[in-house]
Amino acid sequence: MTREQAFRFGRARHLVGIAGVPDEASAAVGVIVLNAGLVHRIGPFRLHVEMTRRLNAHGYPTLRFDLSTLGDSSSSGESQTKVQQVCADVDDAMTLLGQQAGCNRFVLIGLCSGAQNAHSVACNDNKVAGVVFLDGYAYRTFGYRVRHYVPRLFDMERWRRALTRSRSQQVAAPRSPEPVFAVAPSPQAVVRTDLAGMIERGMRLCLIYSGGISNYFNHARQFRECFGSVMSHPYVSTSFLRESDHTYILTGDRHRLLDNIEHWIAENFPIVKAGTRA
Amino acid sequence: MMITSPEAELPFYFGDDAALFGLFHATGGPARRAVLLCPPLGQDHIRCHRLYRQLANALAGEGIAALRFDYYGTGDSAGESADVDWGRCVADIATAADELRRRSGADRVIAFGARLGGSMAIAAAPTARFAGVVTWDPVFDGGSYVSRLDAMQSALRQDRQRFTRPRSASDVAEQWLGFATSERLRRQITELQLDASSVPTLVLDSLGDLPDNGVANISVKRLEPAAPWDDLNRLEVAILSHPLIQTVTSHVRAAA
Repeated sequence: MTREQAFRFGRARHLVGIAGVPDEASAAVGVIVLNAGLVHRIGPFRLHVEMTRRLNAHGYPTLRFDLSTLGDSSSSGESQTKVQQVCADVDDAMTLLGQQAGCNRFVLIGLCSGAQNAHSVACNDNKVAGVVFLDGYAYRTFGYRVRHYVPRLFDMERWRRALTRSRSQQVAAPRSPEPVFAVAPSPQAVVRTDLAGMIERGMRLCLIYSGGISNYFNHARQFRECFGSVMSHPYVSTSFLRESDHTYILTGDRHRLLDNIEHWIAENFPIVKAGTRA
Repeated sequence: MMITSPEAELPFYFGDDAALFGLFHATGGPARRAVLLCPPLGQDHIRCHRLYRQLANALAGEGIAALRFDYYGTGDSAGESADVDWGRCVADIATAADELRRRSGADRVIAFGARLGGSMAIAAAPTARFAGVVTWDPVFDGGSYVSRLDAMQSALRQDRQRFTRPRSASDVAEQWLGFATSERLRRQITELQLDASSVPTLVLDSLGDLPDNGVANISVKRLEPAAPWDDLNRLEVAILSHPLIQTVTSHVRAAA
């Protein structure tokens, strides 16, 4: 049984979050879920609520919260870089969840900009034991281009359409580029080094990418193409959910994603029952 | 960036079994009036979250206490998305109105709601003892609204900018734009026909699709620009409107 509690917390009491602490919390880690883009802490289509409640049911304490100025949180009033602010906010979140559940190691989960923020914290904070990156950093590779363009070369229907399309034919206007879930690029070499550093420090990493980012990621092989042999390390798990969109709008896709995350956490951070050894 | 003191916004759970999430916007001193902000359902709820917070802060800045909350099965409240039920939402509004009276000390409560939140506020007005209701593009004809949601859900299935290939009909069944739904809720909304309000009600209309014959006890004010509620291309884009915040705030201030 888990009862959720609402908190105003943080160094300037400027953050708002919901902690779910199971009655018999015995997990070695707490799970903290970061904002996806500008969506408040419940997540796209309530993804984060479903996620945290499922993890609570398995015995993991959780916190979903809004970073400074997002959702219901305000500014701390400090003069900080974005990375400093995110690291300080997540540190505040770890302190709160630690006080509520008694854990001192944490798993971060982030989608898109949330993955980027989780990456920043994981680079800087040794309390992070694991990270789930949902549509995190990725780069168009040579393999991506081959997989993207070669099938198009041999697609007769595509050629026929291109050759017969008259100039007067109406073409659907491209969707306006709303930067809601945009991830600012960070140099590939830097991210590759960061990930290798996380593994060296014993961190467990789970990368789950969706078909919703097919404009720059289109195959499970691309994890290794982007980040090298570190992706084959036993501490790293990768999945490519080709059918799903970026924000998991369909309930079936959401369930599959949550099954994936739940399984990874249970395998890497098993619940320690009373009287047994970790 | 919000400029109000964060301490003025208090998050908490309330109601039976503490199942409902709320966020109370306190005023500096005793409040003579209060506004209950009733959210819409589904993706409209997420899209309006920022706007509701801005409106609540604007009202609190005028000395008017405000409460934002989530119905059972929505937002941070208990329950699953498929549990959302019209009757329960209307009952939750009455519970939230009492909670607002208790926290603010004000007995005179006005409700605000966008889309279905406005329709439910009108339906809840007698039990919640509202002094008035302000709504933004409320749903008057539930049947048409359900048809529009169905059409958008059908278009979503084949949205090539979202999915690498079209999804099957079963993949998109029993859900509306990201949220699991039930036959019961579909029937309840389909049967919705607002033809009167029991309290003075202001409708802020940005769509221009109100019933021709007028609705008892309801006055209408045009609001520009039109809100993009039904634009699938903007499904995950927040809906913001400074004209709305100004209009609602000045209406509530004048309705003393």
